[in-house]
Amino acid sequence: MNTYKLFSAGLGLLLACGAGVPLGAQEHKMPMPAPLNDGRTLLSDPTSVVMIVNRDSNDIAFMDIKSKKVVGKTFLGNNVNPHMVMMSPDGRYVVTGGTRANKAYIIDARTLELVKAIPVDIAPEHLSFSPDSRWYYQGNPDGDSVSVIDMTTLTKVKTIPGFAEPLNVTFTPDGTKAYVGNYGAHWVGVIDVTRHELAKKIQVAPVQSRAGLDPEKYLTSIQGINIAAPSIDGRYLYAADTDLGVVGVIDTREDKVVKVIRVGKEPWRIYMNHDGKYAITANNGDETISIIDLTKNEVAATLEAGPDMTGINFAAGKAFVISSTSGFVYVYDMATLKPAGRIKVGVNIQLETATTDAADEKLYLADSTDNAVVIIDARTQAMEKVLNVGLYPWGTHIMDSKDNYCH
Amino acid sequence: MSFDRRLVRLAVPCALAALFLTLGATPGHAQGTNQALARRVEQLEQRVQELEAERAASAPAASGRTANISPEALQALLDRVNTLESRLGDLETSAVLSEPETRVKRVEVYVDNNGNEYDQPTPGAKKTVTYQRERVLRRQTINEKIEEALSGEEGKRVAIGVDAATVTQFASQTDGPDTDADGHAYQFAAADLTFAANLAQNTSFFADVVGVSGSPPDNEIPSLTLLNGYTARLQNANELNLREAWLRTEVFNQRLALSLGRLDLTNYFDNNAAANQETTQFISDALVNNPALGLSSNGSGVVAVYDAKNGVNFKLGAQQSDPAATNLSESIFSLAEVGYLARPFSLPEGNYRLWYRRDNSSGRQRDGYGLSFDQKLNPNLTLFARYGSSDSDAGNDHFYSTGVQFEYGAVLNPLDAWGLGYAYLDLGSGDSEHLQELYYNFHLADRLRLSLHLQHVTEQRVGAESVGYLLPGLRLQAAF
Repeated sequence: MNTYKLFSAGLGLLLACGAGVPLGAQEHKMPMPAPLNDGRTLLSDPTSVVMIVNRDSNDIAFMDIKSKKVVGKTFLGNNVNPHMVMMSPDGRYVVTGGTRANKAYIIDARTLELVKAIPVDIAPEHLSFSPDSRWYYQGNPDGDSVSVIDMTTLTKVKTIPGFAEPLNVTFTPDGTKAYVGNYGAHWVGVIDVTRHELAKKIQVAPVQSRAGLDPEKYLTSIQGINIAAPSIDGRYLYAADTDLGVVGVIDTREDKVVKVIRVGKEPWRIYMNHDGKYAITANNGDETISIIDLTKNEVAATLEAGPDMTGINFAAGKAFVISSTSGFVYVYDMATLKPAGRIKVGVNIQLETATTDAADEKLYLADSTDNAVVIIDARTQAMEKVLNVGLYPWGTHIMDSKDNYCH
Repeated sequence: MSFDRRLVRLAVPCALAALFLTLGATPGHAQGTNQALARRVEQLEQRVQELEAERAASAPAASGRTANISPEALQALLDRVNTLESRLGDLETSAVLSEPETRVKRVEVYVDNNGNEYDQPTPGAKKTVTYQRERVLRRQTINEKIEEALSGEEGKRVAIGVDAATVTQFASQTDGPDTDADGHAYQFAAADLTFAANLAQNTSFFADVVGVSGSPPDNEIPSLTLLNGYTARLQNANELNLREAWLRTEVFNQRLALSLGRLDLTNYFDNNAAANQETTQFISDALVNNPALGLSSNGSGVVAVYDAKNGVNFKLGAQQSDPAATNLSESIFSLAEVGYLARPFSLPEGNYRLWYRRDNSSGRQRDGYGLSFDQKLNPNLTLFARYGSSDSDAGNDHFYSTGVQFEYGAVLNPLDAWGLGYAYLDLGSGDSEHLQELYYNFHLADRLRLSLHLQHVTEQRVGAESVGYLLPGLRLQAAF
């Protein structure tokens, strides 16, 4: 870190302390440091780009939203195979886990330079930031752990053990707790963020006693909980359990399950609508979606969808359900809760996941077969493909988007 | 351990490991390569010991060499050693490396009159499609490679399914003069063997071969509709019969599906989410079908289904329904249906279908029409109803059925379901039938279900006393 950066960081720290603002205790967006004058700044506005994870070219591409051109790429190294990318809430850093390198990668969001590679546990995939941008929690499904990285020092401070294939981490708005979906179990882990320890396990629903009659299903593999997704006020979490076919509603004030909602077969995960009224599970077992009314916590509609659903995005009053292997995106009207057609993206292609812009107008969908990002206008459902974004784009991310997820 | 020795201990195995990766050793070669690696490590260990012995003999010179390395250079070398150690640890603990991933891609190229191919638009060259191999550096575990290979093979195979059921019923007469059926027990078994395969883009093949055996109550109880819906499969007992064999393709952006072959039009028309499957729902044919459709058996036919996935669909179909027909002009049933998905009064989803039928099975044109709907009242309760009217020689026949299905909430176990239904058939000839059925379906395992049924049927024939029967029954169903 050069002298100028050290000075800026130190000055920022002094000013913050003088203002009596405790770091790490509340949501806090650190101001962007002034851009360098040495011409190395490639990105002045972190909200102006779509970040694209390219699994096979082992890089993160940055595509300008307005011009639809790739303005920069950060190469991570051979055989890194990055999985999910995310920008810190303060816009300073972009991070990703290299699944085959067992490392977390930190990229400077202005210069797009790789600043650090931090060894974590085995096969890092999904990640999350604390609301104040202080902590980067990297889930390591094969290592059954969560690595804790301090973003002020860019060092790993702890590896929290005790999980079962942790997939996604959700922080509470005050940043004191984090909830971890365990795909290898039927419980949600609660992390005490002040101590970075697994404090509790919340069982979403019991496995029925008749499971003993089906050892082939229950003893060969387990498909548990992908994520505990928060309600709009952060008070409740909704955790879909794939094997059990239910969504557990968790009250975060008491850390207990207040309701179990039966949905379709093998719900992959739950996705929250932006207005806080509905949530949708993608049920890959029977190719349906279940729309849950969050005011009543019951299923309002179960509608036919497509095979191998990998994601659901919300924009322009509609839900867009990505059917990975069929090449279709299924559309649903969220006002009437009825199907509204489907968009054919291509033939013999594999669709991955998408992000939605902050204005809820456009989707940016990764098409790994064509090495492209497909831009879908949510109002008109017109489509545009941006080719050659990298090899095998796996996911996309926009800062401040309400639909940033991975599969 | 001295710095030099650490460097030697790490650098050589790392180099060997790098060589292993470069050569792209496959899992099949891994064992041999590991043995070779172990031998080399042993040799290195021996060499390190020799070096140590030599160093001990010339210790001042070695110390002198170490003393000549600047602190910065030493630190840099130590950092490299740490990195190498870490990488070695990664290699030992992380995913097994594989050869570069290879896949085939469909690409667009530009070919001129001389056959020269270009990647970019070129004057005089025409755009064409071709296929080309692509290799990427993707590291996968052996498990991932195996899973990928197996799922690839699965997609190419013919998928075989089995659906077998055995139904046991008892008849107890409740009304009318004594009949033979009173006090009798019946058992009927059916096994469907299905074949499904993808033939081409958006084109698939399906075949269903069924074998049935046993004695259903319909042989002794002269009901207007079948008391055991499986009896509809019965053409020749204890023999295999080809129920269905058809080809299906999707066109116009997969909005229109065309099926052609030997098929069962009741699989496409007059569906109902709560009352359509004699395998898992009601067992009475009057509660899973509509007699006004008139279809008595499967036959050659064609169906077109238009579904834009916006809640509205249209269907057109034609099928021959007489196994004794000697040509394709006889006994042709033509059907048209429109279906609509609604959410009236902010209720959950409901499906509403209206159909029209025309047939020449009796030597003259006969018409029929009907409707079928199923409406969820809440996540646990579905209401259903059917109506049908059919033109017959004795006047118009009318058919009504209705009922409810419970799931999830009011059940003993989460995946169980139960239902209550009522059907009334009023023929133009004056004959009529009232039927009620209650069933409870236990979901024992993903492939095994057991259901209990209780039917009551009252037959009223013109000029005869009404006859009633109570039929408790049991159905065991296995599906793969």
